[in-house]
Amino acid sequence: MEKKAKTLPPGFHGPEVLAEDARNFLSAIIESSDDAIISKDLNGIISSWNEGARHIFGYEASEIVGQSILQLVPPELHSEEEQILAKLRAGERIEHYETTRIKKNGERFPISLTISPIRDGGGIIIGASKIASDASERLKAEESRFRLAAIVDSADDAIISKNLNGIITSWNRGAFLLFGYTEDEMIGQSILRLIPTELHYEEDEILRKLRAGEKIEHYETTRVSKSGELLDVSVTISPVYNGAGQIIGASKIARNISDRKKMEKILVQSEKLAATGRMAAAIAHEINNPLASVMNLIFLARQDHLTREEVQNYLTTAESELERVSHIARQTLGYYRDTGSPTEVYLHDLMENVLSVYRSKLLVHNIRVESKFNDLRKIKVRSGEIIQVFSNLVSNAIDAMPQGGTLSISIARTMKLNGDGVQMIIGDTGCGISRENIGKIFEPFFTTKGNLGTGIGLWVAKQIVERHRGQISISSTAESRESGTIVKIYLPFSGSEEKPKRLNDAETDN
Amino acid sequence: MRCRLALEAGEYFFADEFVRRAPGLPIAEFGCVEDDPVKPRVLIVDDERLLADTTAAILRSAGFKTKTAYDGWEALATARSFHPDYLLTDVMMPLMNGIELAIAITKILPSTKILLFSGQAGISDTLQEGYSQGYEFPLLAKPVHPLRLIEALKGNA
Repeated sequence: MEKKAKTLPPGFHGPEVLAEDARNFLSAIIESSDDAIISKDLNGIISSWNEGARHIFGYEASEIVGQSILQLVPPELHSEEEQILAKLRAGERIEHYETTRIKKNGERFPISLTISPIRDGGGIIIGASKIASDASERLKAEESRFRLAAIVDSADDAIISKNLNGIITSWNRGAFLLFGYTEDEMIGQSILRLIPTELHYEEDEILRKLRAGEKIEHYETTRVSKSGELLDVSVTISPVYNGAGQIIGASKIARNISDRKKMEKILVQSEKLAATGRMAAAIAHEINNPLASVMNLIFLARQDHLTREEVQNYLTTAESELERVSHIARQTLGYYRDTGSPTEVYLHDLMENVLSVYRSKLLVHNIRVESKFNDLRKIKVRSGEIIQVFSNLVSNAIDAMPQGGTLSISIARTMKLNGDGVQMIIGDTGCGISRENIGKIFEPFFTTKGNLGTGIGLWVAKQIVERHRGQISISSTAESRESGTIVKIYLPFSGSEEKPKRLNDAETDN
Repeated sequence: MRCRLALEAGEYFFADEFVRRAPGLPIAEFGCVEDDPVKPRVLIVDDERLLADTTAAILRSAGFKTKTAYDGWEALATARSFHPDYLLTDVMMPLMNGIELAIAITKILPSTKILLFSGQAGISDTLQEGYSQGYEFPLLAKPVHPLRLIEALKGNA
C-alpha cells in the first residue's frame, strides 16, 4: 500500500491514511508558496504558519503558533475577525477579501485573504485555512494605472491609441473635446475618419514609420472634426509595445494649434503693418523734403524785381524737385497699385523700351550697350512691373558708371528642373558694391548713392520678381580694375498663372 | 554787399540780388553791416542742401542774418563763431541728429533758441531721447509755408 501511495499524485489519496511521502509533498508546496498559508482553530488561535507567512508578517512560526490571530489584525478591525469566524462556523468561504493587517514591526499593509473552513473526517468544522497575499505591489500598480487613466482623461490634449491597422482602441475626453466624437462612436473605427481625404496618404507613412519602431514628434498637420471643421494640430505618435517587446499599436497625442496658427498670422500681419509704417515714415521724409524746397522756391520766385532768368532758375529747380517727388511716388505708391493682368510679351521688347528711355543718359555718360536677345518665346508677365524692374537695374548701372563703361544685357530662354523660363543677365563695369553692403542690397531704403538714391529700387525689383515666382540675385566686386556688378533674373513661363488661393492668402495679394 | 555775401558758403547769389532790390525790407537798409546788432542770426541746418539754401535766402529777405550747415558737426563748428540767436535744424540727419545737435548747442550757447524742422512722421523715438534728458524743443512740420516760418521765428523774438 505504501508503495502505491507513492505513485499517486498529491491530493489523490485513497480512504487510507495519507501516506507519509504525500504529506511531505504537500507540506513542501505549502512551505515554498510565496503566499502566507496559515491555519487557525475556531477560537482564532494560530495552529500552523508557513515560510510565506514568515516572509510577509515577519513572525517566526515558533513565535506565533498558539497565539491569537488578532495579533495580526489592527485593533479597529478586531470586529472583522468576529464576522470571519462566524462565517466560517457557518461553513462559508471568504474569497479575495481585501483588508489591512499588521506586520511584526507594526507596519500596516494591504492584504488579500482567502479563508476556507477546515473539516475533520466527520465533516465537522474544526478550524480555518487562511491564504494571504501581500497586495501592496498590486495595489501600487493599480493605483498608478488609475492615476495614468485619470491623467489621460483630464488632459486637454487628445490622447488616442490605435492598433497597427489604424483602428482606434482608446479615446480620451480631450479627443472628444477636440474632434467632437464620443468614445463610443470612435472605438473600433478607423483613424482615417479624422484625416482629411487629401491627407490620407499621411496615415500610410505614419504606420510605416511605427512598424519600424520610429516615433513621430510634433508633426504639424490638419485633421477634421466631426462637424467637418479643419483643425491645425500638432501630433506626436509613438509605438506601443507589449510585454514581449512587440509593437502592437500606437499612442497618438494631438494638440490643437489653431490658436497658435492664428497668433502667428496676426504676428506676420502686424510685422507687415510695422514695415508699412516704417515705409510710410521714410516716404514722408523723401517727399516732404522736396516739397518744402518747392514751397521755398515758389516763394522766392514770386518776389518782385527778379530778372526773368532768376525766376526761370527758381522754377526749373522747383520742377526738378517735383520730378523727384513723383519719381518716389511712382516707385513706392505705384508699386501697390494693381498694374493690370499679365499679358504675353517678349521681354526683349520691354528691355528695348527701357533702353530707349535712357538712351540720352547712356550717351552723355559714354556708356556702350552690348545686348544679346535670344528669348524667342513670349512670357506672361505684368509688363508695367517688369519695366519698373528693368528701369531700376539700368538706372543703377548708369549710376555705377559715371566715367563710362559697358552695359551688357542678355535675355535668353532657359531650362530649369522646375520649369522653363527666361533668364536675364544685366552686367555693368561700374564701381561695384562693397562686401559689407552687398548683404543689405535688397533691404528697403538701403542705398549706396547718398542723397541721390531712394533705396527702394532693388527692394521693389525683388518683390516684383518674386510675385512672378522668379528669382533675382546679384554678384559684384568693388576691386579696382575689374570692378562691376552682375544682376541675374530668372522668370518662369508659368509664373503668372493663377495659383489656387487659400482663404487666408487673399489679403496678401492685394 | 554782394562781395560779402559771395564769401558766405551756401548762400545764393539771387538772395543777395533780392535784398538789394527790395528796399522796403529792413534788411535792405542794414544789409551791408557785418555785425549788425539789429538783425537776428539764424543758423539753418539740413542735409537737404537745396532746402537749407532756399530757407536761408527767404530768411535773409525777411531781415535775418543766416548761415547754413549740412550736418550736425559742421553746424557745431559754425555756431561757435556765428553765435546764432536761432538754430533751425532738421531732425533726421546722418552722423548727428537734430536733437543731439540742439542739446549740444544749448550747452554751449544757452541763449540760442531752438526750432526743430522735420518732414518725417515717426521721429517720436528721437524726440523721446531729448525728453528723457529734460529737453523739449518746439517742432515745425515740413513742408511749412515760408511766411509761417518767419512768423514762428519773429514770434519768438
